[in-house]
Amino acid sequence: MPEYKGMVQPLRATPDEMRKIFAEPVPDEQKPEKALEYLDEIRKKFRSFVVAMESCVKCGQCAENCHTYLGTRDPNNIPANRAELIRKIYRRYFTLEGRWFGKLVGAEDISLDVIESWYSYFYQCSQCRRCAHVCPFGIDTCEVTFIGRQLLHWLGITPKLHAAVGGAMEKVGNHTGLPKPGIIDTLEFMSEEIMDEFGVEVEFPVDKPDSDIIYIPSSADFLLNPYTLMGAGMFFTYIGANWCIPSTVTEAGNFGLLFDQYYTQRGNVNRLLNAAHELNAKKIVWGECGHGWRAAKMYVPSMADRPVRWPLTHVHDEAAELIRKGELKLNPENNPYPTTLHDPCNYVRACGLNDNMRTIIKAVTVDFREMTPKGEDNFCCGGGSGILFDDPEMYQRRIQLSQKKADQVRATGIGKDGHGILCAPCSICKAQLYPMVEEHDLGVEVKGLVDLLGKALVWK
Amino acid sequence: MKLLIGQILPYITVTLFTLGVLYRLGRWVGPRIVHNITLSPWPKTNTEVAIRVGSEAFLFRNLFRFDKALWVGAIMMHLALLNIIGGHVVGFGFLGEQFALIPGLGITPELSTEMSDMLGTVFGILLFVTLLYLLFRRLTIPHVKLVSKPSDNMWLIYLIVLVGVGNIMRLFHDFGVGYEQVRDYIVALALFQPVTHMELLSNGFFLTHYLLVQILLIVFPYSKLMHLFGMFAERWIVNRVYKDPAPGIPNIDVAAARKAGIGIPSDDAAEEGV
Ligand code: HEM
Ligand code: SF4
Ligand code: SF4
Ligand code: SF4
Repeated sequence: MPEYKGMVQPLRATPDEMRKIFAEPVPDEQKPEKALEYLDEIRKKFRSFVVAMESCVKCGQCAENCHTYLGTRDPNNIPANRAELIRKIYRRYFTLEGRWFGKLVGAEDISLDVIESWYSYFYQCSQCRRCAHVCPFGIDTCEVTFIGRQLLHWLGITPKLHAAVGGAMEKVGNHTGLPKPGIIDTLEFMSEEIMDEFGVEVEFPVDKPDSDIIYIPSSADFLLNPYTLMGAGMFFTYIGANWCIPSTVTEAGNFGLLFDQYYTQRGNVNRLLNAAHELNAKKIVWGECGHGWRAAKMYVPSMADRPVRWPLTHVHDEAAELIRKGELKLNPENNPYPTTLHDPCNYVRACGLNDNMRTIIKAVTVDFREMTPKGEDNFCCGGGSGILFDDPEMYQRRIQLSQKKADQVRATGIGKDGHGILCAPCSICKAQLYPMVEEHDLGVEVKGLVDLLGKALVWK
Repeated sequence: MKLLIGQILPYITVTLFTLGVLYRLGRWVGPRIVHNITLSPWPKTNTEVAIRVGSEAFLFRNLFRFDKALWVGAIMMHLALLNIIGGHVVGFGFLGEQFALIPGLGITPELSTEMSDMLGTVFGILLFVTLLYLLFRRLTIPHVKLVSKPSDNMWLIYLIVLVGVGNIMRLFHDFGVGYEQVRDYIVALALFQPVTHMELLSNGFFLTHYLLVQILLIVFPYSKLMHLFGMFAERWIVNRVYKDPAPGIPNIDVAAARKAGIGIPSDDAAEEGV
């Protein structure tokens, strides 16, 4: 069902697929009633949601600052209006003014149509938080869509893509469904590649007990972004770290953040901590994944269900620290092409990675050009929160959602001669941008940041 | 009418306003801040938090950064509003002679009253004009129109009328009221004394202005005007101190690792004589 009354919608998981991720679909006729019941429960729990519901003055500032509205000009993609899709229900049932004044203050009765509109518009939001960043009050529409998606999940409405990813994670510990033997094979293959291309010996230890650090790569790095994982392997080898990859968690992402913050996200957090516990690790270092790093850095403390003994850092934090201390010998000439940095939203607006990314990229490239706006003001790639849908209608939307990013990249001029590098150090950004740089004909290649770091290392 | 608006309603208004605001704030305190959603780059100390939130609250930093036209209108409107609310309090409290009380300036009570009148007139007109501007903006700019509900426009119109009546009283002395009259009235109310005989309450403009203010205060807790508190409640969630864990990989010695040639194939290493 890719469209509902003129609204685009991602393909949804079948009831069986929902059951695999421990959700029981609610029959259509009960959905409105159940939605209210769940909403009532959740509004009593999350202040972030309640304050967002009750404080917007409709100044409209967020509109021109959301790439989804810029790309589609669909009024419901204005953050304030996106939140309004649920706020009108919240008003109607849970506030006095909504009960007294109704339509005047924009209150509306719940219906299946409203729920379907949530599904359409909460899954066009990439939860990039640019609206929160620009709102005079800091109202975070991302929190609203988090909760909207949670309600949908409990009603049994989750995109096929997200459900499949959730199921694979449950089963093998990563999103791509790659089992342990496949992982080991791939890593051996990467070792050979590194030897061929860079002439150095790099091993990727798996499940090595008593490793000082465990490294959590994005599973996409095994298949789609091999240079990111190779770069990380080279970096850890170069600095002489005692490290390994835990086979039970070969996934930096946590789609629980994006569709089910209760069971799924919490389950993944505990799976991670169990791995660190079993391998007796001292520290956990994260790979390139925007939402996944947010889910780890910001949510592990509140979801761990136990004291957290392991400091969590991002591989960019570690590399930047060593660069600042002057401990890495780097040759920026190895990355000679004009390069720009797409700031993954989760890194710059939720995880504070702004400066560290720049420390690295400036040290490993010769021709680095900032895009405008940059850092915490940067726009999303349009694929954030896993809205990487392939069905034709949604794919067209993805092209529109990446329009702003395309304009920004073009304005840097790096792709003029057809060999620019668009550094986008997040797996979802990469997955979105690989096809989008072609659709928008940008003349650039998409790369991770650790890729560039690995290439620039001078070994002797 | 005098009895209702002048004598009875004020007590009801104050009670409903206070309870209403407490009710709304209570609704926000119940639910907790479950997860850490502070926005980065995050403040590292409480001073930084205060600067960030203060610059949003008093300078409208984000509006300035992302929409200058809105910033001008919004900050002028709020500034005028703040001064007018303040002016009502001290103007009536000190009968316009408040500036004479500032030591060392040598301002006479007469000059102070004149200044007080002046400021009131200027900010009154400014508030009226900026409210019109915000209404114009709401009705003309497409994306603002798209997010507006009827109540958003109505609030602006309501305030324009309220302020308009206030301005008439100030600009046309025949319709105005004296500082003293108002002070005596307030004092009487506070002492629970009868006020219906007062000349003040025979002024239709005053009664209208006064009624509009009271209705505003009664509805305030259930309206968008609660953003006065909502702003701080939201910032309290998204602008919090965060301290990064220290970077540093346990047990590494990069210099030693490089010296030992880790990663360099042994035949290579032999060639190099490492
Ligand atoms: C610290 C206190 C306050 C702050 C930081 C604040 C901030 C803001 C901001 C940023 C806007 C959005 C800009 C706009 O739409 O013009 C706004 C709108 C508004 N504020 Fe405030 N405000 C405060 C107090 C008040 C109070 C006490 C009132 C009381 C009447 C008020 C009345 C309004 C109105 C009516 C609007 C809507 C303007 C419109 O519709 O365009 N504000 N405020
Ligand atoms: S910027 Fe904030 S207050 Fe203004 S309309 Fe958007 S969410 Fe509401
Ligand atoms: S989180 Fe990003 S995509 Fe979603 S409404 Fe806000 S700005 Fe738009
Ligand atoms: S995909 Fe990348 S740019 Fe887009 S929301 Fe994630 S981190 Fe943001």
